[in-house]
Amino acid sequence: QNVLAVCFSVGYSAVALNHVIDFKEKKQEIIKPVSPSELFPSLPIVQGTSKRIKVLTRLTLVVSDPSHCNLLRSTSANIRLYDIIAVFPKTEKLFHIACTTLDVDLVCINVTEKLPFYFRRPPVNMAIDRGVYFELLYTPAIKDSTMRRYTISNAISLMQICKGKVSSQSKNKPLELRGPYDVANLGLLFGLSEGEAKAAVSTNCRAAMLHGETRKSACGVVYTVKKPRKAEEEETAVPACKKAKTQV
Amino acid sequence: RGPAGRGMAAAAFERRVLRRAAEHHYLRVRLELPDGGARPNAAQFKQLVVTALRELHGEVGAALPVDVLTYEEKTLSAILRVISSGFVKLWSALTLLGFYQNRRCAFRVLQTSPFLLALCGNSRELVLD
Repeated sequence: QNVLAVCFSVGYSAVALNHVIDFKEKKQEIIKPVSPSELFPSLPIVQGTSKRIKVLTRLTLVVSDPSHCNLLRSTSANIRLYDIIAVFPKTEKLFHIACTTLDVDLVCINVTEKLPFYFRRPPVNMAIDRGVYFELLYTPAIKDSTMRRYTISNAISLMQICKGKVSSQSKNKPLELRGPYDVANLGLLFGLSEGEAKAAVSTNCRAAMLHGETRKSACGVVYTVKKPRKAEEEETAVPACKKAKTQV
Repeated sequence: RGPAGRGMAAAAFERRVLRRAAEHHYLRVRLELPDGGARPNAAQFKQLVVTALRELHGEVGAALPVDVLTYEEKTLSAILRVISSGFVKLWSALTLLGFYQNRRCAFRVLQTSPFLLALCGNSRELVLD
């Protein structure tokens, strides 16, 4: 709760509470996310505007085995309750699967160790086309100088390949949090241009959020096509699709 | 040259237009040290800034001309001035600084501007009712 208070004071306008699930341990079940209204009876207002801060819920799956991905495909009721889903692949095959077929919003990249696999261009490009963003943690860079070197080198190699479609993330303690403009400045260090660096904190994060929303809401789309026929045949021209879930 | 007023004495003032980018950038920063230990004085604060630069950007970074224009020990806030070419280096070094004398700390950059006058008002602290 302290961390959130610091977030608000530093100037973020939307925060996601992360819940990490590691599949190495047995019997991991996906529990319901803590509803943000339980934590904060009234959310504070964003600096300089009159809107309230949004608090979203997010799930991170640490996958080291392809069978763990089955959980995403099964329509477990609890998964649907999370706003954003992120996956943290540990092997190259899983990275490929995560970029191409898995239904996630973010792919986390571990920056604290030398990566066991190299990034290749085809899965990364496919991920960008689908609207999946990559994510980096910047907290290790604050703690330790070896971590800092790994973070920066991994970040630079990621940037070179994915042309800057990145968002950033921080972790636990309140003092390790940095303001949004500070993080955008770090993007300049990693080789992004100024516009891309600011987008990494603002536009890309918002796009990931919206991607999560579309994942939650739309199951299919109905569209009507006006065919150049007689009037009585126009009513039968609606193609059979699933109905879209209407959002309340 | 200022125009002469109609019937009033001509005011003599000069208008300067600067087309180059500003020479220096100014930052208002605050150091957060949550544990209630000894607070750094001005010299130690400058030393901390130079250390941060050295840790991230090496000797060349530490040699960057940074000045601490004002420093308040009570609130641990300061106004720094740096040459514009070194602005990104200074800001990233302050962001990634984690420790002061083995105590956890964090730098919060409140305002930055190429002009010192712009640091006097902070629109983020406005309370909109």
